[in-house]
Amino acid sequence: MDVPFIGQVPTDVVMTWVLMIIVGPVFIIILTKMRKWPLIWEYMRTTHHRKIGTMYILASILFFFRGGMDALLMRTQLAVPENEFWLYQGDKYNELFTFHGTVMIFFVAMPLLIGLMNVAIPLQIGANDLAFPYMNAVSFWLFFAGAMVFNMSFFFNAAPNVGWTAYAPLSTEAHTTDINNNYYIFGLQVSGLGTILTAINMIVTIIRLRAPGMRLTRMPLFPWSTLVTSILILAAFPVLTIALTLLMFDRFYGTHFFTTEMGDPVYWQHLFWIFGHPEVYILILPAFGIFSDVISHFSKQRVYGYRSMVIALILIALLGFMVWAHHMFTVGLGAFANTFFAITTMMIAVPTGIKVFNWLFTIRHGSFRVTTPMLFALGFIPTFVMGGVTGVMLAVAAADYQYHDSYFVVAHFHYTMVGGTILGAFAGIYYWFPKMTGKILDDRLGKWHFWLFVIGFHLTFLPQHFAGLQGMPRRVFTYLPEDGVAVYNLISTVGAFLMGISMLFLLLNLYKTAKTKETASADAWYGEGRTLEWTVASPAPEHPFEKVPYVKSVDHYWFHKQGTLEMLTADNPRPSPVSVKTIQPFLLGGVLSAMSIAFIYHWLWLEIVFGLATLAFFLIRTVIDERESVYRKEGET
Amino acid sequence: MNKRIKMTPLFLLLILSACDLRVLDPASETGRTIGSLIELSFLLMMIVLITVFILFAVFMQKYRAKDYTCIPPDRKENKWFEVTWTVLPILLLVVLAIPAVQATYSLTYKSEAEKGDLEEEGTHIEVTAEQYSFTFTYPNGKESTNDLVLPVDREVTFTLTSEDVVHSFWIPELAGKIDAIPGKETHLQVTPDEVGQYQGKCAEFCGSYHAEMRFTTRVVEEEEFERWREE
Ligand code: HEM
Ligand SMILES: [Cu+2]
Ligand SMILES: [Cu+2]
Repeated sequence: MDVPFIGQVPTDVVMTWVLMIIVGPVFIIILTKMRKWPLIWEYMRTTHHRKIGTMYILASILFFFRGGMDALLMRTQLAVPENEFWLYQGDKYNELFTFHGTVMIFFVAMPLLIGLMNVAIPLQIGANDLAFPYMNAVSFWLFFAGAMVFNMSFFFNAAPNVGWTAYAPLSTEAHTTDINNNYYIFGLQVSGLGTILTAINMIVTIIRLRAPGMRLTRMPLFPWSTLVTSILILAAFPVLTIALTLLMFDRFYGTHFFTTEMGDPVYWQHLFWIFGHPEVYILILPAFGIFSDVISHFSKQRVYGYRSMVIALILIALLGFMVWAHHMFTVGLGAFANTFFAITTMMIAVPTGIKVFNWLFTIRHGSFRVTTPMLFALGFIPTFVMGGVTGVMLAVAAADYQYHDSYFVVAHFHYTMVGGTILGAFAGIYYWFPKMTGKILDDRLGKWHFWLFVIGFHLTFLPQHFAGLQGMPRRVFTYLPEDGVAVYNLISTVGAFLMGISMLFLLLNLYKTAKTKETASADAWYGEGRTLEWTVASPAPEHPFEKVPYVKSVDHYWFHKQGTLEMLTADNPRPSPVSVKTIQPFLLGGVLSAMSIAFIYHWLWLEIVFGLATLAFFLIRTVIDERESVYRKEGET
Repeated sequence: MNKRIKMTPLFLLLILSACDLRVLDPASETGRTIGSLIELSFLLMMIVLITVFILFAVFMQKYRAKDYTCIPPDRKENKWFEVTWTVLPILLLVVLAIPAVQATYSLTYKSEAEKGDLEEEGTHIEVTAEQYSFTFTYPNGKESTNDLVLPVDREVTFTLTSEDVVHSFWIPELAGKIDAIPGKETHLQVTPDEVGQYQGKCAEFCGSYHAEMRFTTRVVEEEEFERWREE
């Protein structure tokens, strides 16, 4: 479409502009009418874990719709053979799957889990906040800034288009000269920094701030999985940072790390997957933790095999670092390397299997009640196991020569990431919603959401296994009638829209719950809570543990209610992190986005200005310490 | 529960239609080796899947609370159960790993092999991938683009490279993929044993028109191949 003063712009981008021009002001008017600005101002300056967690979750749900829209557009284009839907052929389609994949992984799955960690971890271990509240706010705003930078790409008609894996040399300057993929680099770089800071925060919180008596072996499994995940993040994300930095040098300054003349394109694949494979475990382990807690809660039974659950988490994490080249079986690394990585990959199935059977036997020892969070946890078990067994099939290196980069793989990773991570995140949201807002989400709508989502999910992704075996490569915008994959694709598209509809039930539920006056009690789910978060009010107060309980066993609160264990208050609670109200993290996010945009467009002077501004924030932070005044006051009393 | 019952006919339908999927109905020894490996892994994994599904279904029926006030007694794990579901999967994986390793060694072509050896062993074809086509060069200098002709029952070796970005060479009915990487050479070996025409595709995302980077493979009788090659 020819836009005056700007030139040729695709119609979908123009439509988004028009939509923004209409929706933006309407939104502002509504917020003003409802007097929401003070609330927003409050959240912009908060360092409180529950509020930050809530913002993470809200933002990820927003991006879930954004990424989901891309998925629906892709599925529409693929509904029938040789389709010509709107303008989604060629590079426009490539932008769709790149945007979808990147957004779903970095701006949906990760922040959903991190948001839930923010809400639940301190409460579950008896801490008053995360160890570094200021840094926590910085983490959030860096994630948000990165996500915004990435989202701007579409708005400025420059969405990245080389897949979420950005394989070199396609992603280098020589083959994609436009600025599109600069957005990828900076979006991930900025948000990745936030993720690393979160990992540090979680580790320190869990190591230092547990309630007295809560040994690591008495900790619920969600904090356990968070601890393991955070260590994974700390080891894996810096590799991404380095890979992206090298790619940036290749694109910006003419180096040749990943080009053929002096570098090696395969080097990128190694770096990317040394990060990328642990990343998929970073996405699944916290979900495992959530399921353990949810299943145990609603089965009214302790987690079966607590010790083996923890060992399995650790084993999965360790093995997760030794399998990256299973993404590269067809690169020609040789028979020995392929065999090695095939075997290590298969080994991961063992600890994963242990976890599945332990969940099943937790149910067997209990007497379970079907609530929405429990329903998501139950739906997860068969779904995830299906993704797990295709994982073992993929691990067979020789067979992977056939599966690799086909729709079989697309089916597999959606089974694990949607069937695992997303179902886990939904379970967590429904489960801890009372702790975030003081209300319980409607159960009937929640069940509608679940059933439509899961049925839609299987309809979408089950047929894709067959499309892959029929020879359909992934990342293609079209196929021919004689390919024999039309039926699978049509079913898949129908399923995708069913999933889309199911998400409307979540929105409806959020809206309806916001309207109700009913509030949740502290022990919100039938008074059957097992862990410490259910001892504090719903929503969790700013300073939840005035008196910290002395913890003597796993699920101490439950045994206390059963009358088998007394729950005493600890004499000397841990010092609380000092919370502040500050706008600095928000501004830092803004300045870093501006700097990123300057780099993306090669605006040298702005790069310098915003670079210095960023540095200034570090200097300010070095000289200001909000704890000083608090300590001084404490010293005086 | 009703979800699974609804899904069953669909699932069966899909399984039945699986019989003539290209990857599982190959036209070469290589393809058959991989195909049977896929079937073996599928069967082994079905054992796992069905075990889990049955346990799941039974537990769903049996342990759903009928009386919400009833509190099940606190119970600890049984060590022997845990040992069982650690050891049995390991055994299952060993059963899978042995043929998997054998196949990997036999199908992963000598990546460091000398080119001279390759040429001696049979028909040797150099494949050059570029955005968005494959060019095939035969030993006698014959070149063809996106049209691969192979003699039936003769061993063929491919040496692949790329002019620009990473591509992947895939003929689902004959063999698995092998990437074509700029600045490197990779190899693939196959002996097609059925005359026919097969689809070939680029399987690694390589840019705007990756979806249209296709070629045809014609496996023909020896004489016809000779005739074509001399054209
Ligand atoms: C909600 C319904 C979803 C649908 C209908 C859907 C559909 C799709 C489709 C059609 C593709 C393109 C496949 C290809 O051409 O290779 C794709 C790719 C992908 N999806 Fe999804 N998806 C969904 C949810 C998710 C979620 C929740 C995640 C992650 C947590 C995810 C992660 C990915 C990734 C990483 C890719 C690969 C992108 C790439 O090739 O660069 N998807 N999805
Ligand atoms: Cu992996
Ligand atoms: Cu390609």
